[in-house]
Amino acid sequence: MYLNYLANVGRYIPELLLVVLMVGLILIEATYSNDEKNKKYIFIATCIGLVATLAALIANFSAKGEAIFSNSMIIDPFSTVMKMIMVIGTFGAFYLSSFSKDIYESLKTEFIILAVGVLIGGMILASANNMLMIYLGIETLSILSYVMASLKKNDERSSEAGLKYALYGGVSSGIALFGLSHMFGVLGTIQFAGMAEMITKLDKAQIMILMPSFILFFVGIGYKIASVPFHMWAPDVYEGSPTPVTTFFAVVPKLAGISALVRVTMIFFTVQSPLRVGWIGLMMVMAALTMTVGNVSAINQKSVKRMLAYSSISHAGIMMAGLVLINQIGVRAVVFYGITYVFMTLVAFYITSIVQDKYGNDHFDRFQGLAYRYPFMAVMMTVTMFSLIGLPPLAGFVAKWNIINALLSSRYYSLAIILVLNSAVSAFYYLKIVRLMTLKTQESNETIEGFGFLNQLVVVALTAPVFVLGIFWESVMGLAEGAKIFIK
Amino acid sequence: MSIYYYLSAFLFCLGLLGTIFKKDLISILLCLELMLGGVALLFILFSKATGFLDSQLLVIFMMIISACEVAIGLSLIIALYRKKQTIYTDDIKIITE
Repeated sequence: MYLNYLANVGRYIPELLLVVLMVGLILIEATYSNDEKNKKYIFIATCIGLVATLAALIANFSAKGEAIFSNSMIIDPFSTVMKMIMVIGTFGAFYLSSFSKDIYESLKTEFIILAVGVLIGGMILASANNMLMIYLGIETLSILSYVMASLKKNDERSSEAGLKYALYGGVSSGIALFGLSHMFGVLGTIQFAGMAEMITKLDKAQIMILMPSFILFFVGIGYKIASVPFHMWAPDVYEGSPTPVTTFFAVVPKLAGISALVRVTMIFFTVQSPLRVGWIGLMMVMAALTMTVGNVSAINQKSVKRMLAYSSISHAGIMMAGLVLINQIGVRAVVFYGITYVFMTLVAFYITSIVQDKYGNDHFDRFQGLAYRYPFMAVMMTVTMFSLIGLPPLAGFVAKWNIINALLSSRYYSLAIILVLNSAVSAFYYLKIVRLMTLKTQESNETIEGFGFLNQLVVVALTAPVFVLGIFWESVMGLAEGAKIFIK
Repeated sequence: MSIYYYLSAFLFCLGLLGTIFKKDLISILLCLELMLGGVALLFILFSKATGFLDSQLLVIFMMIISACEVAIGLSLIIALYRKKQTIYTDDIKIITE
């Protein structure tokens, strides 16, 4: 029995590597804190740790999926892909933090330590297979995020952002737990497999209790992905936090929440039941609301970071639309959307952060005439914006098209129409940046130090997948075609 | 059995209403704890009713995590208090539309 338990550790290597990395970083920081070498060691250690994690995940990818640790975690291709995306997002945010001026020099190590911690929480959430692991994942993710949001100690806005995040987070996880307790009361177990089995043999009264408890449970996850009635914290937190932290928040907690939502949807609602109908209805309403409110609120923003916050809310809505289908096609579309979303978000935040470091604020006007000073960067930003709108032949188009196609094939016409209309609305504010960069005359001729050769190279490297995924998407999707994404 | 259910639901609702309507941060944190206390009672109740111990395990984890949450929340309140000399939510709203 105990040996059995340990035998599973082999499948858990990526998470263990991250734990080792986190502890190692703390030790390095404690040993060399007043030393010049500190920064170099931290940088190298983080690079090695994250790359090793990515390699371990790739090794895990082709292996057969299985449930580990007494069925509390599940390692399957879906969770592995989501973890890979999260590691890439962390790497991006980490590199951004290494040259950003938005985080104090002395706190950069703390940022990385906390980011790795949040990543571990996200990984737990991505492969959670019972209610306890979902709860622990959400809380590991959240508690460290609160600290990250208030990383700028001397800035009131940052402290306020952190506090807002903590209070909203505490309340929403309390509500989710209230739902969980009722689920346990009806179903008598916290294991997903057992719960899904019990759901098929309930009577009417029990289903009437279960339906509101699932809605309450959705509050907890909906808050993490900033779905609409629970999105109020997102713009404030995104604006108040340092930019690398915002970049991180836009990628890792959001995708972790999405993957938990996918897991719950695919395990509980594949069988025909009144619960399934209720959940589809909930998802449809939430997805439509999230897309629309996110897009409409983004239009009148002055700060680019705030605009990107609202746009990330609307992207979460689009990913939720893919969940309405509750089948493999929908999940595949959501995963593909997640992959493209990471790269687009990283490029947009990189360029915004570099411009913000120069001028001290991130208003739209700061982008004026960028095309005349840094034509290459302006092109990359334009490509990203086009991809975020969803113009062919870029990755954003394919990702949106996949979801719309899946929706149409299952006859969810209204949701598909709302999605297309939202893309049209989003063009308005994304193209505003493009217009300012190209058509306005430049404010000044100053050089922006952030756009050194190396950083430009990184931005290009991050934009490349947007092209590649847009053109060769068929072969990428083909990889997932035969594989069974989920196991039960 | 049912009286305990009503008690825990009452505690939860009291906490939830408190987090919404209270104006000072310390009270909000206390109400948050009240909410989680109500849920913990509910978990124990259901564990007794169904005869499975899973949820008692969850309660132990919940207690640890809510302690962490309060620690973080209090330290954030102190960080903000140093800047603004107040703990009332109306006075510390800096980020606006």
